[in-house]
Amino acid sequence: MKPETVAVLGSYQSNFKTHVDEKTYVEQAQIAAAGALRDAGMTPEDIDALVFAQAPTHFMGVADADRWALDHVFGAGKPVFRIHTGGATGGSAVQAAYSLVRSKLFRSVMVVGAERMAETPDAQEVLNLIFDAFYERDMPLSTNTTVGLWTTCYLQRFGLTQEDLARIAVRARRNAMSNPHAHLKGEITVADVMASKVIAYPLKLFDICPRSSGSAAMIVGSMAMAKRFATRPAFINGSASVTDTYWIGDRLTPSAKLRFVDLGPAAPAARACYARAGISDPAKQIQVAEIYDAYTVMYPVQLEQMGFCAEGEALRLDKDGFWDMDGAVAVNPSGGTLCTNPIAVTGLVRAIDAANQVMGKAAAMQVSRVRNAVSTAVGGIAQFFNCTVFGAEPA
Amino acid sequence: MSAYVLGIAIAPPSVSHDGLRLEELVYRTSRGALAAAGVSQRQLDHVTLGACDELDGRPISSMLMAAPAGGYMTDEIKVTDSGASALCLGYARVLSGEFHLGLVASWCKCSKTNVEEVMRFRGDPFFTRPLGLGAVEADGLFAQAVQEELQISEAEVGRRVADAYRRAARNPRGMRYAEKTLFDVNGSPYDATPVRSGQRAPLSDGAVAMVIASGAFVERNRGCEPLARITGVGWASDSYQLDRARLRSLQSARTAWRSALRMAGLQDASALDVVELEAQTGYHEAAYVRAFAITDEDRISPSGGAFAQNPLFCTGLVNAAEAVLQVSGKAGEVQRAAVKCAAAHSCHGYAQQGNVVALFESAGAAR
Amino acid sequence: MSQTVDYEVTLRYSYALGEVAGRFMQGLREGRILATRCSKSGLTYLPPRAYCERSFERCDGWVEAGSEGVIEASTIVVRGFEGKRKPPVAIAFVRLDGIDSAIANYVDGLDLSDYEAAMKRLAPGKRVRVVFAAEREGRITDFSFVCLE
Repeated sequence: MKPETVAVLGSYQSNFKTHVDEKTYVEQAQIAAAGALRDAGMTPEDIDALVFAQAPTHFMGVADADRWALDHVFGAGKPVFRIHTGGATGGSAVQAAYSLVRSKLFRSVMVVGAERMAETPDAQEVLNLIFDAFYERDMPLSTNTTVGLWTTCYLQRFGLTQEDLARIAVRARRNAMSNPHAHLKGEITVADVMASKVIAYPLKLFDICPRSSGSAAMIVGSMAMAKRFATRPAFINGSASVTDTYWIGDRLTPSAKLRFVDLGPAAPAARACYARAGISDPAKQIQVAEIYDAYTVMYPVQLEQMGFCAEGEALRLDKDGFWDMDGAVAVNPSGGTLCTNPIAVTGLVRAIDAANQVMGKAAAMQVSRVRNAVSTAVGGIAQFFNCTVFGAEPA
Repeated sequence: MSAYVLGIAIAPPSVSHDGLRLEELVYRTSRGALAAAGVSQRQLDHVTLGACDELDGRPISSMLMAAPAGGYMTDEIKVTDSGASALCLGYARVLSGEFHLGLVASWCKCSKTNVEEVMRFRGDPFFTRPLGLGAVEADGLFAQAVQEELQISEAEVGRRVADAYRRAARNPRGMRYAEKTLFDVNGSPYDATPVRSGQRAPLSDGAVAMVIASGAFVERNRGCEPLARITGVGWASDSYQLDRARLRSLQSARTAWRSALRMAGLQDASALDVVELEAQTGYHEAAYVRAFAITDEDRISPSGGAFAQNPLFCTGLVNAAEAVLQVSGKAGEVQRAAVKCAAAHSCHGYAQQGNVVALFESAGAAR
Repeated sequence: MSQTVDYEVTLRYSYALGEVAGRFMQGLREGRILATRCSKSGLTYLPPRAYCERSFERCDGWVEAGSEGVIEASTIVVRGFEGKRKPPVAIAFVRLDGIDSAIANYVDGLDLSDYEAAMKRLAPGKRVRVVFAAEREGRITDFSFVCLE
């Protein structure tokens, strides 16, 4: 029995900012659900099932907040579950929805979520709690400090400099000026990045994503639904994820199977995804990559591990404009996660930005003649990685 | 496209698994399911977890739990609704044709934290939390609604609980609680009216894992003996509001039940030899029996259900494991005769906002 | 400014140490760092664990780690947060001699007024020595690292 083709029918993302203090969490989720329905020209009755994207609820302070939001996203009475894979959640939620349609269990699924990062002042404490209670919580281990370690290793290994990474931040904010939804945007210089406050050496403030609040939703459906509701759908032609071990110390040493410095699970996940999508040469076949770069170091590492260029080369190619909007592969025309990181839905926003490029809906960010686009999401400390390829034609 | 259960493992339950770290409890259970199925972790292409951060005691609990549960180097994902919800997603992944051998795992150490605090934390901050509404209070509201709507007497509730303890006492996989009399149950003090403490299933620590496989995998590996075929699943969630209309309608339970039956090509409960219900109180059992139109009382929860063990978050997946044991003739002292089809039910959320149903058939029946 | 409803939520947990962490912590009190080993894969683990992820079998042996090791990764934490040591502090993942994986801890005895200079001493590949605290309580902070060079 041939599996169902899965298409993106519509989506919505809010304008992201530090704190959405004029709305509640459930109102944010509703805006996203209503927005996606409007974008697709659908009504709630056209949605068979929902997948909710919500990562740790400790930031917005209501456990299982998806249950509270259910009525607001027109989900009462319907099949619903919530996905949570840390920072990778949004991408995993898209993957789950894809399975639900591909399996023919449902004709249409809405993926929806919201984030309120600034509801608590204690975000750092929350992030310290993800570490092992006995061996690691007594140290100031955080996402910042562990990525600091990672960055040291990467720069040393390939003889690169902090300035090389700073250029990534500069381009991200400049691209984001064309993105009405992006949280951070504007013209900054390498000197600005180098002068920004040191957080965990060699990471400086501008090497790090903001904490963003907002909401997003995407509707996927079968071929029949695509014919009914979408003039130019994007087809999900491949999606894959790989989970690594939690223990960073296992991933740093010569006996490591997947190496922390290489964002371990990225390469095997990309291989599996490309195989499903019929991609054998990503740099030639994929025109846009919307990748999860919460930190500047994640940008070159993902491009290298996902086969867009050789190891250690991404930042050198960056100097030649390889990843510019009109370069060989347009990377993060949206400004990426360095400009916008609403943890629960970041991966969903990556997917929406990639799908929009294929659907011709990227407005001022639109790259020309996009046949394929890829999105990624990363969770834990580089432990969970998923990627999804969207194509103009079904694979 | 078919899906089969190749092996299951249910952790020996305990009031409090003090000697074992959560990772160790889950590792042993997942390892046990793989051994029962005769496959290795390396063969797995996907893992679907069901777990709750707040009950586990850490944000992004799957960071530490994914590998012990068997997820290392696999396509692993986690749902947060219930263990049975994880089974539904695992089943969908197999049906999608991209995955052939998977593990579904879920766990809950109720002793490790204040469960009622966690439940209260699920309250919206504006309208619900100031009232201190947790699971106990929500169950009281549910019981009141169904008592009136479905004409459920306290005598029936007490009898059902006493019967459940009697069945549970014979379950080698359960807590082996002492049986209770009707007086023990209905003479106990109120928790939140009309529910009495003796009418509630006590909480326990536990874990459960299941190896599932596609029909293609089973064909290619003739040496493996599936325990059951998964024939249908259904799940749905009700409104978050606890008003009378929602509470008495049992809408999501009915929807989940109907969807599962339809997928399996079955008409009604009479086609099922066993139904393992998740009944957190005797009121719940009485309500579900009516909602699912189960007329033969002998088919209800031979395992004792939540009164045998109740690791809250994964009680429903334990039910699924018990249903698999029934259709494969491996349920031991609680085995019913000639079981070909069995249903497992799971509920979660305030006054059981969400419900899940999974149907199984003997593997012999299919091949 | 918008209206808010304020809450402080306390969620208490008691984490069982389990079979393996308990032994490790006892080892720290005795001034030893104990790793677990899996005979099937041959790998040794710090922090120790009950089972091996590669073979998915129980770890079946204990190995005492060497008192020196090599830095695999390091950073200087400049913006830390309450409850831990006051920043700036240096932390490193160190692969102790005889062990396959690396364990994290503070690095003491460094002049952290000049980050660049300190990071040179902490660069991956540099060797360190384990130093135990005089008063030990069976906690990871019972030991720390000091640079050998």
